[in-house]
Amino acid sequence: MAQQDDIAIYGKRRTMYAVIAMMFLFFFARLFQLQMIYSEEYGRKSEENSIRTIPKEPVRGYIFDRNGTLVVDNRPAFTVTIMPFEFDKRTIDELSRLLSLDPEFIRDRLRKGEAYSRFAPVKIKRDIDFKTLAALEEKRDRLPGVDTQVESKRWYTTRAVASHTLGYTKEISESQMKLQVDEYAPGDVVGSAGLEARYEPSLRGQKGAEFSMVNVRGQVIGRFENGNNDVPAVEGDDLILTMDFGLQAFAESLMTDKRGAFVAIDPTDGGILAMVSKPDYDLSKFSGVTPPDIWRSLNEDEAAPLYNRATLTRYPPGSTFKMLLAIAALESGSVTKSWRVNCGGSFRMGNKVFKDLHVHGSVDLVNAIQKSCNVYFYQCMLKTGLDAWSHYGNEFGFGRLTGIDLYEENPGLLPTTAYMDKRYGKDGWTRGFLPSLGIGQGELGVTPLQMACYAAALATRGEYHQPHVARAIVTKSPRATDSLTFQTRHIDVSASTWDVVREGMRRVVEEPGGTGGMARIRGIVSAGKTGTAQNPHGPDHAWYVGFAPFDSPRIAVAMLLENAGYGGTQAAPLAGLCIERYLKGWVTHHDTPPPRPRPVPFPQALPPLHAGLAR
Amino acid sequence: MIYQEIKERVDYRIALIVLALLTIGIVSVYSATYDARAAEIFHKQVVWVGLGILALAAVAFVPFRLLQLASYPAYFLSILLLVSVLILGKTVSGSMSWFNLGWIRLQPSEFSKVATVLALATYLARSDVSLRKKRDLAVAAGIVLLPIALIMMQPDTGTAIIFLGMFFPVLFWGGASRFTLVAIVAPVGTAVAALFGTTPFLTAVLVFGVLIYVTKEGRIVAAAVFSLTVLVGVSVQFIYEGLKHYQQKRIATFLDPNADPLGAGYNILQSKVAIGSGGFFGKGFLHGTQTQLNFIPEQWTDFIFCVPGEEFGFLGAATVLLLLMGLLLRGVSIGASVKNRYGGFVAIGLTAIFATHIFLNIGMSIGLLPVIGVPLPFLSYGGSALLSAMTMVGILMNLYANRKEY
Repeated sequence: MAQQDDIAIYGKRRTMYAVIAMMFLFFFARLFQLQMIYSEEYGRKSEENSIRTIPKEPVRGYIFDRNGTLVVDNRPAFTVTIMPFEFDKRTIDELSRLLSLDPEFIRDRLRKGEAYSRFAPVKIKRDIDFKTLAALEEKRDRLPGVDTQVESKRWYTTRAVASHTLGYTKEISESQMKLQVDEYAPGDVVGSAGLEARYEPSLRGQKGAEFSMVNVRGQVIGRFENGNNDVPAVEGDDLILTMDFGLQAFAESLMTDKRGAFVAIDPTDGGILAMVSKPDYDLSKFSGVTPPDIWRSLNEDEAAPLYNRATLTRYPPGSTFKMLLAIAALESGSVTKSWRVNCGGSFRMGNKVFKDLHVHGSVDLVNAIQKSCNVYFYQCMLKTGLDAWSHYGNEFGFGRLTGIDLYEENPGLLPTTAYMDKRYGKDGWTRGFLPSLGIGQGELGVTPLQMACYAAALATRGEYHQPHVARAIVTKSPRATDSLTFQTRHIDVSASTWDVVREGMRRVVEEPGGTGGMARIRGIVSAGKTGTAQNPHGPDHAWYVGFAPFDSPRIAVAMLLENAGYGGTQAAPLAGLCIERYLKGWVTHHDTPPPRPRPVPFPQALPPLHAGLAR
Repeated sequence: MIYQEIKERVDYRIALIVLALLTIGIVSVYSATYDARAAEIFHKQVVWVGLGILALAAVAFVPFRLLQLASYPAYFLSILLLVSVLILGKTVSGSMSWFNLGWIRLQPSEFSKVATVLALATYLARSDVSLRKKRDLAVAAGIVLLPIALIMMQPDTGTAIIFLGMFFPVLFWGGASRFTLVAIVAPVGTAVAALFGTTPFLTAVLVFGVLIYVTKEGRIVAAAVFSLTVLVGVSVQFIYEGLKHYQQKRIATFLDPNADPLGAGYNILQSKVAIGSGGFFGKGFLHGTQTQLNFIPEQWTDFIFCVPGEEFGFLGAATVLLLLMGLLLRGVSIGASVKNRYGGFVAIGLTAIFATHIFLNIGMSIGLLPVIGVPLPFLSYGGSALLSAMTMVGILMNLYANRKEY
């Protein structure tokens, strides 16, 4: 079984020899060219020892609001770098004086940079002023390996702060570096909170590089091969938000000096119109360098300004949760809309007494919502049961993440039978829990964002849109606008139930006897619900959720003011102004302010069943 | 008399070539790592060379029939290893291709190269198999494409290209028609050309169009191949253009596993400066400034050719090239002199693997090809690659010893 006949084999062997010979001929020719013809030129280049890669930082993407207003801009900033292999360590003291840095800090930076690469510049100070820059340039000769780069820093153009939503960038930390070795070098800036973090891959852009020739003293003497090998930096993609920065600034101004959160959402698509968390902080402090003492003061402030209360904090929802129970009760057939309760101001169950603010007399469901009758909902909850209630709670997005495009989010807590069994044992809990849950108290925690989504779902009769802050990403090359897509689900509730609950909410604002009259807007019918939530941290939290216009809602809101007192007097008026500002573009003064209910503190007769929910 | 006997049984030429290359390799690795890290990498490499020589000897003297019998099992084992490395492997610079066994890390794709050649040769050597038959051609392609697919999932593009580089000469050797050869090269070549831009793409379409026309065996098949070629090229361009830039970047990274955009350009630049500045005589051992100052990251792996180029100049670099050329010519010569059909295919396949490695690696070092991370056989630091190269030479020597057997 010979391979093939000899002639064929020799022919093929010859072809292969020829191919191999050609390949090597090619290599030899190139070698000859490099090593004989151009060897002097390359020799000089290697003598100068000398090609330096200077990374070019990309310009971070811009951020626009829903009206096309530029809200996050960039400004140039000078960054001082040192090249480890050229740097003379004896000059550290002089350099530290010049930049007013601790010499130990420079040593530490240098050590870490060297571990990464001796040939990559290490950033030691960002955003130096022109005086320092001039002083540095003057002493350049005596400071080998010290250089400056132009980078961009964030610049905020509007009156609104929106610190928690926009988020900040900062120098990449060592732990972040470990996660993303290939993409980032030490000293790189990385989005670390809010949208800056969430859309980091788009906003960041792509680093470029310039190859320069430098002499022994580290001075640039020219571009390598006229810059033909340079890689230009690619600008980051822009972000278009659903937010309205006019409304954002207005809401922030209303909440000056308060603690709390406000979320406004477009119920038709889930786009966040405004998101306020107070107290907040000045993002421009983070744009260049962040001095450690600012970090420390923000981190240690007991008011926790870095914390996004709109999405991270769990509050008891109080009476704003009553619509949920009403829906669960009607849908499960536990009560009908005409079922009446006679409210005598309190409800007794066993040896426990659950109180109400007022004596409401005989109320049906719509009245109960309008007047926020606790006694009605205590009994309603007992008839409805935990399972139906938590089923609809889950449907409205409680106890789980809403999926907003921010990494900072808390799912909150919605108790279910399984949860209670797990936590207290199968027989460790009783129906005694139920009445409190019925009025949004007890072992229950919601975020203001979840409440805004809940208001939006009530506004749209069950279209639950995934809330989102960014609407689209504009790529630079090719220039294109990519709309982001988000999910929508339908909450299955019958039309008659929606009618009853929404009518109750309308009366809260629009009819005498409603608790939310202070949210009324002239010329626009709106609906809402107030809440006054007991909590273990002091005075009650004031809540308001609502939407407007009643017939075709364009905005849904949730307002929470920590320890501010009564929802109807504290939260409702501010929420009403925000809605008006968004729908009309301005706010009017009420000619005859609605009668101001006297703030009555929630009776503290009963200790909360479980403390420790807020935050 | 004894000398004659040894000459008859041992291909001393290929053995000497390999010894010379190994020596240059050890010297180069020593120079490239001549600083704090030297000891570790250099010593490991010496140990690997020792192990490699043992492997070579073992394979060279194993009974020839045993080799042939082991071909299919070795292939299936290699596929198994490739699958399990995807599940259990360790990620090195973004690619799942390693098994970690304490201080040793093994790359199953290296073993798989050899095993695939053996399996392909076993299949093609069957008397009832002909590359003129479409079914047989498809089976042969399947044998090669299966490991390629698994390796692309790691992803390790360099090694996948090596497999393609091996397949083509084997088909040529096996007597595939000229049309078959063109039909295989055309879509691949056009797709690659399309990534570089429209002009290279159109040129490729033109060249392959003419080739397809000249070699055509039937109009319909020829038309189909041509349409496929154009379609592949257009869709590559179309898909690439339509991608967002971070996706394009991802593709660039996929094509070039070491790619950060700064690294690739920088390495080639420094590599050219290193080789060019060597001149005719070189700067002397341990005196290459580019090498000693670590201008080229991880030079001891893929950019090892710069070391002889810079420190021993044109003399050194040309010596390496001559030795490598000698290796390839010997490989082809063994392939042609082996009487056994299986042996012929094995020799050509293994030689083609060496040739592809050399082509990609040297081409990259002297700035003619983009950065595709493949090691230079016998010179680059790396245990798995060295072991497999030595095994391949062992097989070639085994074939030489048994060349007169049918």
